[in-house]
Amino acid sequence: MAEFGALSSFLVAAVGLAVPLALAALGETVSERAGVINIGLEGSVIWGALGGALGALALGPYGGLAVGVLAGGMAALVFAAFAVWLNTDQIITGTAVTIGSLGFTGAVFQSRFGATGLALELPTVPAWEVPLLARIPAVGPAFFDQAVTAYLAYLLVPVLGWFLFRTRRGLALRAVGESPEAAHAAGVPVVWTRMLAVVFAGLAAGLAGAHLSLVHTGTFAENMSAGKGFIAIAVVVLGRWNPKWVIAAALFFGGAEALQFALQAVDADLPYPLFLALPYVLSLAALAGWFGRSQAPRGLALPWPR
Amino acid sequence: MRDALRLRGVTRRFGPVIALDEVDFALAPGEIHGLLGENGAGKTTLARVAAGILQPDAGRVEIGGQPLGNGGVGVARALGVAMVHQHFSLVPRFTGFENVALFDVAAWTRRGTLRSGYRDRVEARAGELRLAVELDAPIRGLGVVARQRVEILKALMGDTRVLLLDEPTAVLAPQEVEGLFAVLRQVARAGAGIVLVAHKLDEVLAAADRVTVLRRGQWVMTRAAAEVSARELAEAMVGAGVGVRGGGGVEATAGGARAPEFGAAAGDVVAELRDVTVAAGGSLPLRGVSMQVRRGEILGIAGVGGNGQRTLAAVLAGMRLPDSGEVQLPEEVGWIPQDRTNEGLVNEFTISENVAFAVHDRSEYRKGPWLDWAGVEETASALVRDMDVRADSPAVTASVLSGGNQQKVVTGREFLRSGNLLVAESPTRGLDVKATLAVRARIGEIARSGGRPPGVVLISADLDEVLELSDRIAVMVRGRLIPVPREDHNPAAIGELMLSARREGAP
Repeated sequence: MAEFGALSSFLVAAVGLAVPLALAALGETVSERAGVINIGLEGSVIWGALGGALGALALGPYGGLAVGVLAGGMAALVFAAFAVWLNTDQIITGTAVTIGSLGFTGAVFQSRFGATGLALELPTVPAWEVPLLARIPAVGPAFFDQAVTAYLAYLLVPVLGWFLFRTRRGLALRAVGESPEAAHAAGVPVVWTRMLAVVFAGLAAGLAGAHLSLVHTGTFAENMSAGKGFIAIAVVVLGRWNPKWVIAAALFFGGAEALQFALQAVDADLPYPLFLALPYVLSLAALAGWFGRSQAPRGLALPWPR
Repeated sequence: MRDALRLRGVTRRFGPVIALDEVDFALAPGEIHGLLGENGAGKTTLARVAAGILQPDAGRVEIGGQPLGNGGVGVARALGVAMVHQHFSLVPRFTGFENVALFDVAAWTRRGTLRSGYRDRVEARAGELRLAVELDAPIRGLGVVARQRVEILKALMGDTRVLLLDEPTAVLAPQEVEGLFAVLRQVARAGAGIVLVAHKLDEVLAAADRVTVLRRGQWVMTRAAAEVSARELAEAMVGAGVGVRGGGGVEATAGGARAPEFGAAAGDVVAELRDVTVAAGGSLPLRGVSMQVRRGEILGIAGVGGNGQRTLAAVLAGMRLPDSGEVQLPEEVGWIPQDRTNEGLVNEFTISENVAFAVHDRSEYRKGPWLDWAGVEETASALVRDMDVRADSPAVTASVLSGGNQQKVVTGREFLRSGNLLVAESPTRGLDVKATLAVRARIGEIARSGGRPPGVVLISADLDEVLELSDRIAVMVRGRLIPVPREDHNPAAIGELMLSARREGAP
């Protein structure tokens, strides 16, 4: 296996970095398909990370994941109450939720643990090796020797694909995102559909945050979400609002980040931060329709005053 | 027998405006019931309340004897109510089939997936109704007529006992109207009650068993169609006497003041297209269109909606550059767009503000670097008065006005810019009798005015309107412009032309 060593460790890093992006982006895909762009996703991620940390100290690592999921959902519920229920501007509300969440989580963390600067040590979620699959050279350990969060991300892809494109509720949800007037006239409850879609995105982003504290690092630090929620929104664009492309886009973003770290380590004479910028260039290209017609839901970010 | 639909004392307000004022309405099973009224009379509101889309502020709605309550669209649909909307309620990016399935609870299994064989049922139902529906193309690529077929099929998939149609004939050619009415009669024979909201009196009288007239949100009368004349209905709609005066005015304009035959005394050319082709963006192209517009004439362009008229209007208005061919336009063009709410007005602006951006660059509305607001408001007040806009003052926000009154504002404003060329795109679509007469009279007047009148291009799917106003007529079919010789200026010949190329173009 030695010949795969470098590649294998790159892939392990890439997948590890991609999992939180994939979780948050898959959730956001559902929200945006319903016509709501949740810039507050970053807030759900940081609440997920803190909820995961506090939950893990009290209930162990899996309890921590559950608390993280709920914490992310709560942040999204706040966003939805304003942006969907009260019809405030989605972009401004989302920005407020994100900035507010970064502040609140920092405050909660400091009041609980003090501003000592000492790293918090958390019980982490162990990896589960999938029999056989994990032994595939290079790819196996990267994809099939991961924590439960990765497997949930994989599972979400077919489940969401089926839901969005094969079921009545999925069709109704997409109708809400494309044309809320037509959906309303067809008897679809527009506001509730959007509320649920946003909260689902928050739950998934909460899991992404809990992954950061309980799988990726084993600790919590202020602002540790580090823009993951925003990156996830770019991932949705690059993935063109389709779960199977969204997870591929998340892997691509994760790969770019891993490559950047790898290049840093070998001290190559390259401006490595460029690799962090590359995925955004592609996201812009996707928005401009260079990879086929852009599929942004027509009702995205438009309020539904009723 | 139980009423299919019954409204008892229904009141509905929009802010300060009372759209429906304690209205009673009864629809019998198997009848086609025409619902008439001016714009803003409350016809569409009544239909939307019956469909559960809007909740009444007071009063009750019963469907087949069952109270609708505040159950909304879901309950209304379960009770057998379906509505065909004027501006359609289809999801543009979905296919026709997806739109039909979205609306039909019976399309889905308990698990929420599509029932096997549902597709066959949709096709069978379309066959029964003799509706040629395009099921697999996304809606946004279809013309209005094809969209309407999807909308009608969607409404009739379930066990429909009340069918509400809001201005369904507005987009159709005469022959297609007859086809639609044949479908409606078939549905009525099967026992459904049908409410037909329309503004063309003769069409309603031809199709309906009974007719109800609303005026300013209030019930005026309900009569058997066989026992009432178009004139009585018109008077009931606008209030006694008013209609007679308006009608006379139009006749005087259209008949008496008609310009001399085209050719002899027609003025200089104000706009010209030579072999203009627009292909990009694909759905409504122009193919080699050539035309001249001269001062003092009205060039009428008839055609079934969706044959390239909107693209032609955009080219004439200077909003769109052709892919090939030559376009000569005057510097300023008055343009009355078909989509008045999106292209004509800023809904959040007041009437004055909406007028302001049409005239802000003129020297007479300038005071140094500032806009002369007093002058703008004076102009807007005159517009409100002259066009009979139902608004207390020009400081009223455009979104508060009904569709007809919005159109009057757009029309009046664009007249201000029509020194050389006026492009009127379905200028009376969806307007009530009185507003229609007023707008037509003004268009006639502006083209016949003394001195240097503008040239007018009138694009309309309403054949009567084109025939009444135009000096020359051309028909738009599949992106081509076909001139109609003067001896063929009658509904039968032009109607035939409007539909001919569809057959020719069919694969």
